[in-house]
Amino acid sequence: MEKDKWEGIRRLWQGRLGQFAPFIIVGLILLTIPHFAHADIQLMMAKSLAFATFAMGYNLVFGYTGLLSLGHGVYFGAGGYAVALLQYHLHIYSFWMAMPLAVAVSMLLAAILGPIVLRSTGMYFLLLTFAFGELFYSIAWQTKFMGVLSVAGQIAVRGIPGIVYPDVIPGIELTSTTFYYFIFTGFVICYILLYRITNSPFGHALVGIRESEPRMQALGYHTWRYKYIALIVSAGFSGVGGAMFAWNNAMIDPSHFAVGTSFLPMVMSIIGGSTTLFGPAIGAVIVTFVEYLASITIRARWPLILGGIFVVSVMFARAGIGVYLARLWEKVRVRYGNTKS
Amino acid sequence: MEFFATSLLNGLSFGMILFLIAAGLSIIVGVMGIINLSHGALYMLGGYFGWMIAQRLGLNFWLAVFIGGLVAGLVGLFIERAFLRRLYKQMNEQVLLTFGFVYIITNICLWVWGGDAKVPFWDPALSGSFNLAGLLYPKTRIIVIAIGTVLAVFLWWLQNKTRVGAIIRAGMDDREMVTGLGINLARVSMLIFFLAAFIAGFAGVIGAQLWGVYSYQGLQTLLFALIIIIVGGIGSIQGALAGALIIGIVDAFGRALFPQLSMFFMFLVMIIILIAKPSGLLGRKI
Repeated sequence: MEKDKWEGIRRLWQGRLGQFAPFIIVGLILLTIPHFAHADIQLMMAKSLAFATFAMGYNLVFGYTGLLSLGHGVYFGAGGYAVALLQYHLHIYSFWMAMPLAVAVSMLLAAILGPIVLRSTGMYFLLLTFAFGELFYSIAWQTKFMGVLSVAGQIAVRGIPGIVYPDVIPGIELTSTTFYYFIFTGFVICYILLYRITNSPFGHALVGIRESEPRMQALGYHTWRYKYIALIVSAGFSGVGGAMFAWNNAMIDPSHFAVGTSFLPMVMSIIGGSTTLFGPAIGAVIVTFVEYLASITIRARWPLILGGIFVVSVMFARAGIGVYLARLWEKVRVRYGNTKS
Repeated sequence: MEFFATSLLNGLSFGMILFLIAAGLSIIVGVMGIINLSHGALYMLGGYFGWMIAQRLGLNFWLAVFIGGLVAGLVGLFIERAFLRRLYKQMNEQVLLTFGFVYIITNICLWVWGGDAKVPFWDPALSGSFNLAGLLYPKTRIIVIAIGTVLAVFLWWLQNKTRVGAIIRAGMDDREMVTGLGINLARVSMLIFFLAAFIAGFAGVIGAQLWGVYSYQGLQTLLFALIIIIVGGIGSIQGALAGALIIGIVDAFGRALFPQLSMFFMFLVMIIILIAKPSGLLGRKI
């Protein structure tokens, strides 16, 4: 009698439920904690989700296709600036205008830069994407269109301050709590989209290109076109991340185009595990959390810590925490699922 | 005419400093296949140590140049011995690791020397001007051109005419075979990495006459170096020299004619050359 009662649950556990349980648990944590947390924590969590979206989009090119791009800051910055400039120049606050624009601008930039950077491979690709990031940085620095110049201490900073939360539903203003849930929804949608993309034939073809491009070519795949489309799609998600970040940060400056920003999703992907979809998101949460801890204790030494994170993640966590977690969960499932005797 | 000559000399001396920056990186990337993004940070470290010795302590400028190079060389050696040695042929990891060191070195420099930029300095003995057929031109700039030329010849000789160069080139093609012949490739790699980092630090002190030393110089310098080796092509000294001179001269004329568009000409040259020849002017396939 008792055995039968548990049999159903065990089946469920070994099937879909076991597969999705970690996501449900993480989802519940992400949904409930901010409700009780301080606004600072909500801000930090929203930031980590923005970077998680960015990192997952980046990982489509980095982990799945195997292209080492150091220029994704361009698309992230483009998304952020699209939102910011719309508010700054045209005073349009609607989400329904801003988000499509952010995505369109990022994807358009990738469509323009793609043919140039994809002419090269390997080391040249890396150097070239790096250089383009810096090009956009200097453009954003030097053009009046890209925001106001303000002097902080000795250093002049050009940027767009005072970015406010978007109007999603007319008449309802977002608070930091509702904004967090709004970002969370966006993150979940992006996750599902990326899940569909990476599990489609297209996604598998990208992995094939990573493993062996000549072989994929021999199989008749037009690999250049696959890489180009992957770059554009990845840029779109980076743009979404950038827009989320701009709203959350309330300020955007040229450094978000530059290589410092481009490296973040890369280190997040490596920490979390670049071969998985959720790995970069885990990496993003870890990095943002450490940054938050540093910012309330030793703010001036944060770059030192970040550099340390880079070194440690390369030397000790190369497979990625996400991979370890997935394996651990698999063990738990086997352990507690197969106890029938 | 005078405008033309001055701009050309400016371009040459600027290009030679760029060559000093890029030469070390070009050797490491081309010969050892290691992407060292901390190269610019090593340049900055050399600059700071040079500033400390020449300006703060008031010692001889050339001693400062040597110490700057030595410190950068030793730090580079540490990075290679402790970390990069284990990441042979793993480009992603090399890139991430060396960029981590950019953050670490930059932040430590900021910690030690503070955020205010150090003003440009040079050897006081060379503060006058030469009279080149009626054109007055600063002595230090001429010296820079001379140093760059000597270094280019030396590196070319080292890479193409010596036993060490032969070992390096052979090691690039077939590492196992070279090791199997009883050659200690690790020691040669160490030597080359030290030399490249030394040149970076050395360039940091020499280049301080142009830009001074400041805390975010590491990235700026790295960008210069990358543009040059992209334009010139990875893997040959001639390529780095050609790239540096082209960029230097284009930038000097661009700056003189259209001051507000300073950096754009470099990028323009880079993009045009890449569209025409994706492996750079004198590059070989890697």
